[in-house]
Amino acid sequence: MKKIYQIKALVLALMVAMLGTACKTEKVLPQKEALKDISGSWQVIKATRNGTELTSIIDFSAFKINFKDGGYTLENKMPFLVEQDGAFALDDPEYPYKITFTASGKTPVSTAFTYPIVNGKRQLSLTFSPGCTNNSYVYVLQKTN
Amino acid sequence: MWRGLACLVLGIVIACCGEQIVSVDQPATATINQIVPIDVKITIPTAGNGGPDYLILGVLVPKGWKAGQNTTVTYTSPDGNGVMTLIPETTLPKNGGGLTWPAYMKKTFGNAGNLIDDMEWVPFQTDKAYSHNGNTFDGTLKIRMKVGADGNNTLVKLSYVITDSGNGFTSDGNGTYYSQKTTDCFSVTGGTGDIVDFCNPQLTVIDPPKSLDNDLVTLTFDGTVASTDLDNASEVYLCATAYTNDGKTITVCEQTAKTLMKQTTATSRRYQITVWPKSFFGVTDAQTIEKMEYFVTDKAGTKKVGYGNTSAPFVYTFKCG
Repeated sequence: MKKIYQIKALVLALMVAMLGTACKTEKVLPQKEALKDISGSWQVIKATRNGTELTSIIDFSAFKINFKDGGYTLENKMPFLVEQDGAFALDDPEYPYKITFTASGKTPVSTAFTYPIVNGKRQLSLTFSPGCTNNSYVYVLQKTN
Repeated sequence: MWRGLACLVLGIVIACCGEQIVSVDQPATATINQIVPIDVKITIPTAGNGGPDYLILGVLVPKGWKAGQNTTVTYTSPDGNGVMTLIPETTLPKNGGGLTWPAYMKKTFGNAGNLIDDMEWVPFQTDKAYSHNGNTFDGTLKIRMKVGADGNNTLVKLSYVITDSGNGFTSDGNGTYYSQKTTDCFSVTGGTGDIVDFCNPQLTVIDPPKSLDNDLVTLTFDGTVASTDLDNASEVYLCATAYTNDGKTITVCEQTAKTLMKQTTATSRRYQITVWPKSFFGVTDAQTIEKMEYFVTDKAGTKKVGYGNTSAPFVYTFKCG
């Protein structure tokens, strides 16, 4: 009879111990989000105007945007947010959702942008209206190799 | 006999209900900035005990007319008179799947046969509601619309649709709760702008319809619209002159890869070129292009097709409004 009591006490102790460990919180170390570095030369891989696909009807291949050390340069210009070279800034280097271009001597122009990874490559998607505000363009850019 | 009577009553009930446009009384022509009187006669047979609902009116007009600001609507009826006001963007139709009234109308009725996608549905709503109580409501919607705010001479098919706020563009056992009437081509004259013809197929079409010289502009020549000197041309080219804000003219009229209009498919006889006007004409940063005159030519540059298949050029003005 005494033995049974002992086993019962053991089971109880075990259960208490299990309960104790079950509720133990594991500390998750905060992971630092990588800074978004858009340095390099980018070219248009897809463009739309008011939803109409443009890449098959006009040649974007020569147009390039080069980002370097807070500045940008445009090669073989096409309609874009800005027409002259200048400086750029991201609103948040970790989670940017806005990019601002400041052409030399001009007022800054900002636009929302996304920065997804597609097929293992970073893309930069910009929406803007270089002409009439009712005409909306989306350029999807990818780094040139 | 009773069976026959029951069928008759049932027939009346099934066919009875929903908003109907009886007629649209609209002039055939107007001049720029004239206030045009348009009377839309309606009848609304109702059944059951639905509502109360507001009457909705949609008017399809060229965007450039800014009809939301330039239109007043009142109504008269034996049951009372009142006004109809513009429905704000924030008021969504009950059965519109989250769309606004203009978007719901566009999705349901499109551009009502107009060929240029530069039109908008402008929605209005009555100040008073009515119940679906078995009565029939008759009335006249009196639309007073200033036309041609963009200054363009215009040919357009105006369209009208009515429904009620409770049902929208739906039908059920009681009937169809909407009605649309599109009028013949309405002509606005006396303007200084381009002729914008929404009614008839055009030899050339520019997309987007409203653009500036810093847009990418697609120009399409449609060889199927009419027989022209270019019917048998193997290749066609753009020959254009830009007029800049500093009074200069720049002509690009060569027959090279730069001006080649590519056929959209092998046998479509529709030829297309997309240009960035600033770059195409090589204007300086200080210059802007105000308008462009153009022809479509053959490879030798000797056969030229212009506006309406004449020797006059097509004209396109760069503007947003």
